[in-house]
Amino acid sequence: MLSALLLIPFAGALGLLCWPGDLATERIRRAALALLGLQLLWSLRVLLAFDPSEAGMQLQESFAWVDSIGLDYRLGVDGLAMPLVLVNTALTLVSGICTRDLSQRPRLYFALLLGISGAVNGAFLSENLLLFFLFYELELIPLWLLISIWGGANRGYAATKFLIFTAVSGVLILGAFLGLSLFTGQADFSITPVTSAQLGMGTQLVLLGALLIGFAIKIPLVPFHTWLPDAHTEASTPVSVLLAGVLLKLGTYGLLRFCLGLFPEAWALLSPWLAGWAAVSVLYGSLAAIAQRDMKRMVAYSSVGHMGYILLAAAAATPVSMLGAVFQMVSHGLISALLFLLVGVVYRKTRTRDLEVLRGLLNPERGLPFTGTLMILGVMASAGMPGMAGFISEFLVFRGSLAAFPLATLLCMVGSGLTAVYFLLLVNRAFFGRLAVTPPGDPVADARLEVRLPGVALRETLPAMALATGVIALGLVPLGLGRVSEQTTTAMAQLPAVVAGLQAGGLLP
Amino acid sequence: MADTLPLSIQLSWLIPLYGFAGMVLSVPWAAGWVKRNGPRPAAYLNLLVTLLSVIHGTVVLRAVLALGPQHLDIGWFAAADLDLRIGFDLSLTNLAALELVTVMSLVGQVFALGYLDKEWSLARFYGLVGFFEGAMAGVVLSSNLFMSYFLLEMLTLSTYLLVGFWYAQPLVVTAARDAFLTKRVGDVLLLMSVVALSAWAGSLEFNDLYAWSANNSLPGLGATLIGLGLIAGPMGKCAQFPMHLWLDEAMEGPNPASILRNSVVVTCGAVVLLKVMPLLRISPVAIDVLLVVGTISAVGGALVSIAQVDLKRACSYSTTSYLGLVFVAIALQQPFIALLLLFSHAVAKAVLFMSVGSIIATTNCQDLTELGGLAPRMPATTTAFLAGAAGLTGLLPLGCFWSFGLMVEGLTPRAPFFAAVVLLTNGLSALNLTRVYRQVFLGSAHPKTRRAPEVNWLMALPMVSVSVLVLLTPLVMARIDRVPGIGAFSATTTLMLLASGAAGVLAGSLLPLAAFGSRSLPQPVRTLQDLLAFDFYTDRIYRATIVAFVAGMARITDGFDQLVVNGLVNRIADVSMGSAQSLKLGVSGRLQTYVFTMAVAIVLLVGSLAWLGG
Repeated sequence: MLSALLLIPFAGALGLLCWPGDLATERIRRAALALLGLQLLWSLRVLLAFDPSEAGMQLQESFAWVDSIGLDYRLGVDGLAMPLVLVNTALTLVSGICTRDLSQRPRLYFALLLGISGAVNGAFLSENLLLFFLFYELELIPLWLLISIWGGANRGYAATKFLIFTAVSGVLILGAFLGLSLFTGQADFSITPVTSAQLGMGTQLVLLGALLIGFAIKIPLVPFHTWLPDAHTEASTPVSVLLAGVLLKLGTYGLLRFCLGLFPEAWALLSPWLAGWAAVSVLYGSLAAIAQRDMKRMVAYSSVGHMGYILLAAAAATPVSMLGAVFQMVSHGLISALLFLLVGVVYRKTRTRDLEVLRGLLNPERGLPFTGTLMILGVMASAGMPGMAGFISEFLVFRGSLAAFPLATLLCMVGSGLTAVYFLLLVNRAFFGRLAVTPPGDPVADARLEVRLPGVALRETLPAMALATGVIALGLVPLGLGRVSEQTTTAMAQLPAVVAGLQAGGLLP
Repeated sequence: MADTLPLSIQLSWLIPLYGFAGMVLSVPWAAGWVKRNGPRPAAYLNLLVTLLSVIHGTVVLRAVLALGPQHLDIGWFAAADLDLRIGFDLSLTNLAALELVTVMSLVGQVFALGYLDKEWSLARFYGLVGFFEGAMAGVVLSSNLFMSYFLLEMLTLSTYLLVGFWYAQPLVVTAARDAFLTKRVGDVLLLMSVVALSAWAGSLEFNDLYAWSANNSLPGLGATLIGLGLIAGPMGKCAQFPMHLWLDEAMEGPNPASILRNSVVVTCGAVVLLKVMPLLRISPVAIDVLLVVGTISAVGGALVSIAQVDLKRACSYSTTSYLGLVFVAIALQQPFIALLLLFSHAVAKAVLFMSVGSIIATTNCQDLTELGGLAPRMPATTTAFLAGAAGLTGLLPLGCFWSFGLMVEGLTPRAPFFAAVVLLTNGLSALNLTRVYRQVFLGSAHPKTRRAPEVNWLMALPMVSVSVLVLLTPLVMARIDRVPGIGAFSATTTLMLLASGAAGVLAGSLLPLAAFGSRSLPQPVRTLQDLLAFDFYTDRIYRATIVAFVAGMARITDGFDQLVVNGLVNRIADVSMGSAQSLKLGVSGRLQTYVFTMAVAIVLLVGSLAWLGG
């Protein structure tokens, strides 16, 4: 059942690439959308088959692949992976839909999109460390190509930066996985938390450190974040949606699944430092966002800030905070995708994203009123307004972490307040006021005061409306996601205690 | 037990949903999907659902009168040890507050039909008011802190959107921003307390929290911080010093929303504070802060309002002032007086703002110095203003007279200072209202008021009805059995109250009126006038402190990000590229060099391995 989630996109990508004869862009797009839609439906089918009362891996599939190096093909899904798979399948469909007017090579573009989707599914579903790493790396090259072929003016720099940062991240993660196997002397790469307990604390800390930095680059956490704003500003809208909504979640997923899951003891030891790191990351991201002029950069920095909450939640590792981490991943996926979509609409209509240039876009007849309304909704959701997905996620994270790390949690809440500051600045500058597009320079000669922006067709806003509906639905009825994930996150939160208990009982060396 | 309850009580969870439903119903017109026949249908639909909520609220009130207080509880989200619930506390006080909210919303919406007659985005306005009303109805009924917070935050959002209704005007842009951010600061502090209480006390039901606070074992600092956080939210909502700036700027929004904001939204904030009050015993500091803030707001707000030349602002600062008194009453453990004062203030302020709205709608002017001689031209508006002013001051035996009297009577023996504050505020607000009345309604007509007809019936009807309500407040109060009769407070109190009110009126009658664009000539008076007119320069203080701090931190972070973090990355890239470039140039093409390099490398490698191994 789970293999279909890999088969559909990968086979689709291959099929698109190898289809003999010429294909019109629109037909390629339709075919890709059909495949992505099928993938989404299939993931919903997996959700129906998923039993939320079970904490461990379900619907497992496995066969020995390269036995000699411990690379098994083992897939499984639990309460942590299930929502993320859904986010992935939904957002790749959204980014496929909002791909319009491709300048070149549509066939390659959609094949890469499908490839990324499949690789991310694989990474979320794999139950084998090497298999995870394989998929983790597999998603890297397509994204690099997506940025460097269909990106903006400075795409070469941004794409290379992204490639190098993420490659280093991959090396660190592979090193940690191999190190674990080397030091324990087992060529078994399944995910078992007790393996690391055989090692000394020093070794555990080194391996965990490598993993942490590896995933911190991907998430990204300060100070490994500088690739993200550049990549976002140069990437096209659909790629930004994918990058923010899905690919960053690989990092946080790795944080929960591998850092906490493989090294519970060392994690518990490091957790106060990690909480501090989270607070720094949140405040740094939020403050840097205030100073941005480019709307896309601002949203990108907000991602840096909001990803810090997940580190905080993971550091606290209480049942509520772990559930909050899952919520935050899902809600950040939806909200940041929504914001990037809307910024994309603004950019397509005005050819600029500069907050010093744009004014009064809410104008009812000549501006972008509906986009503006959705934008207000999106930024409010991101700032944690109740009734939308951001609030319940942040509430769970803070509620779960406060008792463990009061100071770091309070600082993160200040960061949540700062989110309101920069997003309100964005809305106020670009959407309120009198409609004008005034490039810097001579305000009289260059100003476009009599602007009449082209209207936004309904089909252009449909993906954003769908995401907005999701954001509100999750904010008003969070119980569904809570049920799916609760058992797993509760079990994960108890890992450190379980391992410690096993050791105390003499069951482990 | 639940089965035996009347249907109206079982369905009382619907009450906040009426308002939200009104918002949803307005969407087709607000979004421009339906353009035939203009946006009026959205307004009618909203009026209808608001009427429904008034009726439902009244039925529930009657049922509760017969059956006693009820509680309704629905689970919302539960995980691990966290249980978030939707709870309705159907007590008499809450339902009375609900009645106030829904009725005021209804009359405000009727008034808006007249006031916003030619507004192109009428549907958006009604949608936002529906949102507003739903959130308020939920706040007053809520039985737990989580739900109160949830809805207070929604109120913040809807205030932002309502203030920003005419978003194309430059002043509105800053006003909406400031309203949102000021309230948001209060909300984030409140959220910190909510999260802390959720973590330490377990349940967020007010009743459980009261029990917990009776024997809590929190360290002093934690308890103090929680207390301060709890009062920060209502402080922002009720526009108390130093978070009062937004209410003044919010006057840029449409007037019907100002009616609601000045009468019932602030009431909602105070109701939340009332519910939180028993919790504050864990934090004596918070109570002291409440007293200080309330006193400063009461006197400061009244003083600032006297120096305003803007009609709406002159009235809105007085809201800060009255809510300051409510805060004092709450801090001094007088919840009943606080409620009475809230009620009297809400109806009187609503009618005052309707009168102000009528003036603005007719004259298109809200500068006091350009108005005059309206009394013979707009009789209903004048009557409404007088009724509102009388209801707000302790001079005639209307709402605030009783509230102030009870407060002074209760406070004189144990806290004479605060009794004096009440009297002073009374005098100052009487002065302000007299001054405004003289300037606007008396005197000779100015160019802008010469041809001022009375407003149309859509505005006059709600205005007159609420004026009647104001005049009837003593009767309403008499029906609430806990309000003592006229003889309830001593002659001394009555005299003091009358004297303070009369002194205010007298001073207001003798005060020289400001002419257009004029300022006082003597320097000290002028300095004082400016100080008050510019609201103690609060906005400048903000800009010099918190705004400058955040902006500076943002700039420093951004600079650090550009120069250090990103710079380092680019340096590494440059160095590696540079060394690769120089290596490229170092390629000589001679075989000997390659052999030599390889030999050296092998020797080094083997040597180092041998050294490491041995």
